[in-house]
Amino acid sequence: MAIILYKEPELRNPIMFCGWPGIGNIGLTAIDTLRVVFRAEEFGQIEPWDFFDPQKVTIVNGLLKELEFPSNKFYFQRLKDRDLIFFIGQQQPSDGPARYAQGQKAYEMANLVLDVAQKFGCRRVYTSGAAVTQIHHTTRPRVWAVPNSQNAIAEVKQYENTILMSQIEGRGNQGVITGLNGLLLGVAKKRGIEAICLMGEIPYYLQAAPWPYPKGSKSVLEVLLKILDVQIDPSASLGQALSRLDELAQKVEENIEGFLESLYRAEAIPPEVKDEIEKLRYVQPAEPGPITEEEKKKIMEHIDELFDQGPSKDEGPHPAGT
Amino acid sequence: MNFSTRDLPKMRDPTPREPKSIFKFSQQPESAEGCLTAFESPTLIVGWVEDAGRLSPFVIDYINRRLGAKSFCEVEPAGFFSLEGVAIENDTAQFPQGKFYNCQRNDLVTFKGNEPRLERYEFLSALSDLARHYCKIRQLYTIGGTISSAAHTDSRRILSVFNQQQMQEELAGLGLENMNWQGPPAISSFLLWVAQRKGISGVSLWTEIPFYLAADTDFQAVKATLSFLDRKFDLSLDFTDLDEQIRQQNTKIDQLRQDDSQIDRYIASLESGLSLGAEEQVELTKKVTEVLEKI
Repeated sequence: MAIILYKEPELRNPIMFCGWPGIGNIGLTAIDTLRVVFRAEEFGQIEPWDFFDPQKVTIVNGLLKELEFPSNKFYFQRLKDRDLIFFIGQQQPSDGPARYAQGQKAYEMANLVLDVAQKFGCRRVYTSGAAVTQIHHTTRPRVWAVPNSQNAIAEVKQYENTILMSQIEGRGNQGVITGLNGLLLGVAKKRGIEAICLMGEIPYYLQAAPWPYPKGSKSVLEVLLKILDVQIDPSASLGQALSRLDELAQKVEENIEGFLESLYRAEAIPPEVKDEIEKLRYVQPAEPGPITEEEKKKIMEHIDELFDQGPSKDEGPHPAGT
Repeated sequence: MNFSTRDLPKMRDPTPREPKSIFKFSQQPESAEGCLTAFESPTLIVGWVEDAGRLSPFVIDYINRRLGAKSFCEVEPAGFFSLEGVAIENDTAQFPQGKFYNCQRNDLVTFKGNEPRLERYEFLSALSDLARHYCKIRQLYTIGGTISSAAHTDSRRILSVFNQQQMQEELAGLGLENMNWQGPPAISSFLLWVAQRKGISGVSLWTEIPFYLAADTDFQAVKATLSFLDRKFDLSLDFTDLDEQIRQQNTKIDQLRQDDSQIDRYIASLESGLSLGAEEQVELTKKVTEVLEKI
């Protein structure tokens, strides 16, 4: 297992942002949008073949031309005050058919990513994923922030629309971050690197949906921009990227509304479950939520069946117990 | 963990490595190696147990039987297959296996095994390393069936995929047709790619199997593949028994055509180069399979 660097740029005080697929692709969309906006340059990759099976072969006139694996690439960009490194993975590794990244391979991947962070002197790493919770899809998602060090808590508290686990009622300041997001926080802690996971909220009845959830991505992106102290100029590429996210979020929301309506009409969802979902429409995120765990379980049983949920390598981190 | 700075992401690993201890030799490695040093740049022929038209297991078994090949090494399945239980097929318990065989002629090594389900790169890499390190193989052939819309009465084309142009040129004129494909890779394509990285030239032979024979043994496709290998490696194989099996299979299908005009129309359409609808394909496959599985 190796990292291949095409070049070794000299970077000042870099911070690293990591994105990979997960529920609603919330983290990946947020981090990759940032990478595109900053026009970050690719400078390395993790050899994929020990982690993933190839996805595509190209054979032309009887010659094997190419075998494509999910990519895991590093990018950099130099800014005025500090430089940035991005890691974008197309898939999370796992040992066997696990739903989330886990096992030895995921641990090795987390270590390889952090090897690059340390090589270039990163003192802070950000990862991003989804927080599956009791909100309605019309609600502005908050961002749950979990640092791996007490030192970062004060910083996190400054960010608008961001909450710590201790601020979420009914959770007892506890939770689990599954997948690479969780592993990266843990391995970074072991190495003495500060890391923060930013998780955009997604309604739990959409966690198995095959669509992206750009609304959650936008919330995460807004926090990332605050961290980087970037001003948004609507006419510049960043402003345009945010507008595109808004447009996509609107389309997805319309699709969700249409999908739920069709399920209600077809009576594919029992009336009591419909009522329970609709209750959320009028609830502010800060409230603990009107539905009970039992009600939530009942909703999920129906929703999961409707999305024909099955184990998928592409599904990523979520805080368990939400 | 290794860092390497390279100009290109594609890499080559030409250094022979000791195969990992995933193989169990039937003799001690030292003596097995001593035995195998008699090889002079042999060719490795790889076939996978699960195959369309049961082509590759039949071909490997046929070669092994006719050339008196003996197994000298087998794969330890732990780590490459789920060992949570034992699958039952055809009323018998199955277990993943993979064995290397060396032929008395000393210029052929064969491998027949189940496709690894886990750690596929490690498996294929170790397989290539063993073939190169112990057997000193020069070239790799993989064999397999590719499902076709051709009729069983048509001749079986053999499509080919090479990992080096030089080898493609060497085999030009032997009746192989070039494959074009873009999509999910088969395990043989993955192996071909791994071999390429290790400097082993190789070719995958894909013999066409009429879709309605995919679940049975397609003896005609088996013979086409064996005939190619016979010509290429001068094996002097006698196909009398295989010819009889082809005759019996064709007779059964001919009888079905006489008894069932619908099936006859379906096959006639395929013979004319026309395609069938999904339901027609299912019906044809079902009826042919029933006939061929009758004792």
